[in-house]
Amino acid sequence: MFEKVLIANRGEIALRIHRACREMGIRTVAVHSTADADAMHVRLADESVCIGPPPSRESYLNVPAILTAASIAGADAIHPGIGFLSENAKFASMVGEHGFTFIGPTPEHIALMGDKVQAKEAAISLGLPVVPGSEGALANDAEAMDLADGIGYPVLIKAAAGGGGKGMKVANARDEMVQALSLARAESKANFGNDAVYLEKYLSHPRHIEIQVLGDSHGNVIHLGERDCSLQRRHQKVLEEAPSPALNASQRREVCDTAIAAMKKLGYRSAGTIEFLFQDGKFYFIEMNTRLQVEHPVSEMITGIDLVREQIRVAAGAPLGMTQNDVVFNGHAIECRINAEDPVHFRPSPGRITDYHAPGGLGVRVDSALYTGYRVPSHYDSLIAKLVVHGGSRNECLMRLRRALEEFVIGGIETSIPLHRRLIAAGDFINGDYDIRWLEKYVTVEA
Amino acid sequence: MPKFDVDESLVRKLAGLLEQTGLTEIEFEAGEQRIRVTRGSTVVHAPAAAAPAAVAPAAVPVVSDGPPAGAVMSPMVGTAYAAATPGSDAFVKVGDRVQKGQTLLIIEAMKVMNPIPAPHAGTVKEILFDDGRPVEYDDVLMVVA
Repeated sequence: MFEKVLIANRGEIALRIHRACREMGIRTVAVHSTADADAMHVRLADESVCIGPPPSRESYLNVPAILTAASIAGADAIHPGIGFLSENAKFASMVGEHGFTFIGPTPEHIALMGDKVQAKEAAISLGLPVVPGSEGALANDAEAMDLADGIGYPVLIKAAAGGGGKGMKVANARDEMVQALSLARAESKANFGNDAVYLEKYLSHPRHIEIQVLGDSHGNVIHLGERDCSLQRRHQKVLEEAPSPALNASQRREVCDTAIAAMKKLGYRSAGTIEFLFQDGKFYFIEMNTRLQVEHPVSEMITGIDLVREQIRVAAGAPLGMTQNDVVFNGHAIECRINAEDPVHFRPSPGRITDYHAPGGLGVRVDSALYTGYRVPSHYDSLIAKLVVHGGSRNECLMRLRRALEEFVIGGIETSIPLHRRLIAAGDFINGDYDIRWLEKYVTVEA
Repeated sequence: MPKFDVDESLVRKLAGLLEQTGLTEIEFEAGEQRIRVTRGSTVVHAPAAAAPAAVAPAAVPVVSDGPPAGAVMSPMVGTAYAAATPGSDAFVKVGDRVQKGQTLLIIEAMKVMNPIPAPHAGTVKEILFDDGRPVEYDDVLMVVA
């Protein structure tokens, strides 16, 4: 087992990793920017090394500084956390080359799933259902029409070089295709410099259902069930829950079994999440995240399994501590992501926390690095706390969540707590009746 | 409660260090055991695993009002070396006059030797790093004034 782990991240996730290490008797090294010198995990870690100024590029993304810090601190392993370098295959390789263990999947799997086109191809070869569409760029309009007729309308025409929702046009029927293609090509050319487009079935009201998987280096892979992360604003998840109120037992079994079979075939190691869109009873693979996810506590709450501990054990070569049959699902869990932002206009709100009081009691967990007097820096993302609540049933969970949000005090800055309090009182949410566009509409109506 | 044998020679050594260096407090921790030696009348008793939020007002870390004038701060994390090669003369010593851009020390990071230039001309007043020891970003390496 590792003696010393370097935590190459910050904020609440760095604290999460520190906690798992401490519980395993592993010493921790916190690398941090000057802006994070007073961060909670830096104060708690056994050692800390300041690696750069506030900008991420010069600190948390600064590979030479992180590897040097690992070297001088004598760390055995590096946990990359979430975001930053966690899905950087080159970093994962370099960690290994420098004699440290990267706590995560292999660089090859990180690279494979990091490229969207390759990931989709891999998904197909692994037996995962994908969004039906063209294989690569469309050669001409005639090909596009035939394909669209075959898939069924509506279809989405997407820029091959694109992202961020640009260069995407919907065609609801065959007679809209010509214009949609021409507009998509023009927008793609303007935004990305080339007009190559591809085509996919358009899902008008999907839910985002993701499966948590965990593999070891001995070929064992298990799942910890699904999480429903449909409540998103601008492609950022706001609230997640498990189990999904939209799936019945057989759908759950189907998607989980398919996911596990795929991961066994791939030989996947460490924690990972396979993300699907789910509509009209069908699942469509969109991407795989080869790392721990922000919302991992939701799965921990319903299974009692410590995912970070398992990542560390697996990285040290141990086999998984449990089989699929040992994984018991209990009750319901919901996580609210609390951001340092104004709850109406979503403008970031960094600053000094004048009062901090986290809710407590049975079934209430708060993952946060905040404390009274802490200054939330302006240089990083705005997630400052995760409130995760567990209950015997979804109803009990909702009641507990409402109670916990009432108690939560974060003074001195604006936070999204008021948004969560309104959101969980919305009829559609209480009924579990929402899709990936629901929240965007809800906040627009509200504002 | 495990028996904590007081290491008298350690206490004397730490007390001696306080006298010699003019510090007011030294705290030394190794594994499970921690000892704090304080000069003066304020004695703060802290349990071995104090919550850091409580420690902030009570403990006395070395606090400076910002770096001293003429401070040369480390631009990177790495291992600091006073000389170009082991055994050769140090680049500078206290009292030397240096030009802007003159190499003061080397910081090694990932096997690459990075010469650290003087940000301004002046006289080397203090050398605050130990040869061959790690330095962090923003550590005060020297004072050149």
